[in-house]
Amino acid sequence: MAAVAVHQFAPCITCHAWSPDRSMVAFCPNNSEVHIYKLSEDKWEQAHILQKHDQIVSGIDWSSRANRIVTVSHDRNSYVWNYEGSEWVPTLVILRLNRAALCVQWSPQENKFAVGSGAKTVCICYYEQENNWWVSKLIRKRHNSSVTSVAWHPNNILLATTSTDGKCRVFSTFIKGVDTRDSKAGSSSDSKFGEQILQLDLSFSWAFGVNWSPSGNTLAYVGHSSTIYFVDDVGPSPLAQNVAFRDLPLRDVLFISEKVVIGVGFDCNPMVFAADESGMWYELCQIPWGEEDVINWSQVWFAVF
Amino acid sequence: MMAATVDFVEADNAEAIISRIEHKSRKIESLLKQSRPVEALKTALEGSPPNTRDERCKSANWIVVHRAIMAIKDLDALFSSLDPEYYDILMKYLYRGLSTGDRPTCDQCLRIHERLTERAGLGCILRSLADTMNTV
Repeated sequence: MAAVAVHQFAPCITCHAWSPDRSMVAFCPNNSEVHIYKLSEDKWEQAHILQKHDQIVSGIDWSSRANRIVTVSHDRNSYVWNYEGSEWVPTLVILRLNRAALCVQWSPQENKFAVGSGAKTVCICYYEQENNWWVSKLIRKRHNSSVTSVAWHPNNILLATTSTDGKCRVFSTFIKGVDTRDSKAGSSSDSKFGEQILQLDLSFSWAFGVNWSPSGNTLAYVGHSSTIYFVDDVGPSPLAQNVAFRDLPLRDVLFISEKVVIGVGFDCNPMVFAADESGMWYELCQIPWGEEDVINWSQVWFAVF
Repeated sequence: MMAATVDFVEADNAEAIISRIEHKSRKIESLLKQSRPVEALKTALEGSPPNTRDERCKSANWIVVHRAIMAIKDLDALFSSLDPEYYDILMKYLYRGLSTGDRPTCDQCLRIHERLTERAGLGCILRSLADTMNTV
């Protein structure tokens, strides 16, 4: 398997996000700006530059339905960008952080987004119609160190986080007025906002890159000890597997199907993991890529699809 | 590469661990007399007590592992019969050996380290460095 296309946008890219139709990509070239490039006739052209942050933009996510971009930065701020006319218009979101924001992701229904930060907190932001602004609710407890990655469960309520304290945690982010209570008793919408549902102590070193499988049944995250952790049947009695591999540690993972995961990291080649019929995960192969470290999964996705 | 379900073993008290190590030590001496250094190393590595904080236990086990490591002469034989599940724990002890600064120990550890890295990859080294909880 070789790369479908290779394009050098900048000497270094800290984070990026694809547009809903994959014709555009927004990324941060290791400064305080976000560049948006559009693909027209096999050539990438610069379409917009979003300049609002004061420091490096550490996370970008582009929502598929509402076509909104959310950016977070080391300057402790977050902006939600709406496309109006031919320009991207920013709205400041006051996160109430006293340390850098490190990662961001829109929820599946795109009515909330989660921000992980170096302040050992996670901000869950939602839109308040009456005041026409985004409100940030903080999950302050539990994390003992920076939150490196966040991932939403398909049910729009559960959020998984990884932290440099080595643990992966699942929280409920139920917000009255934004989420609706499920009529089934004992489901995840019974919990309060910020309640920790599960804590996984599988890793003895920093944890990065968490992702849910499409059904939400399986969770995968990576540790800095060149190990990837798979947790099936996330709930009261989860089944965990550690897969240790030969190469340098991974930084991020993506489920491309219920049973196939791609991991990217300090080794220059993305790794593919698969689960066999009995549910045991193993390393399948590496995708030969190139000379640069691949820190984020989407660069790989373009090559695979 | 290994896949294992998570299993945390309760650490026994220090005395029980040390007597087990002494028992291991006798078994290893007899294996070395029979010229079976690879088995001796496997026995030494088995049941290493990473779950205790007690430095005496760790030191006692290190002495036993060190004895077995220094007795290895044939590296090809070692790697053709050592199971991959021992790679990570062996790498941790190699780094402990390297940290002693003792010339013969370091020479031997470096020699084994080179081959172990070829077999187990950089991930093995990462696991011995990044794991600050289960140290030897």
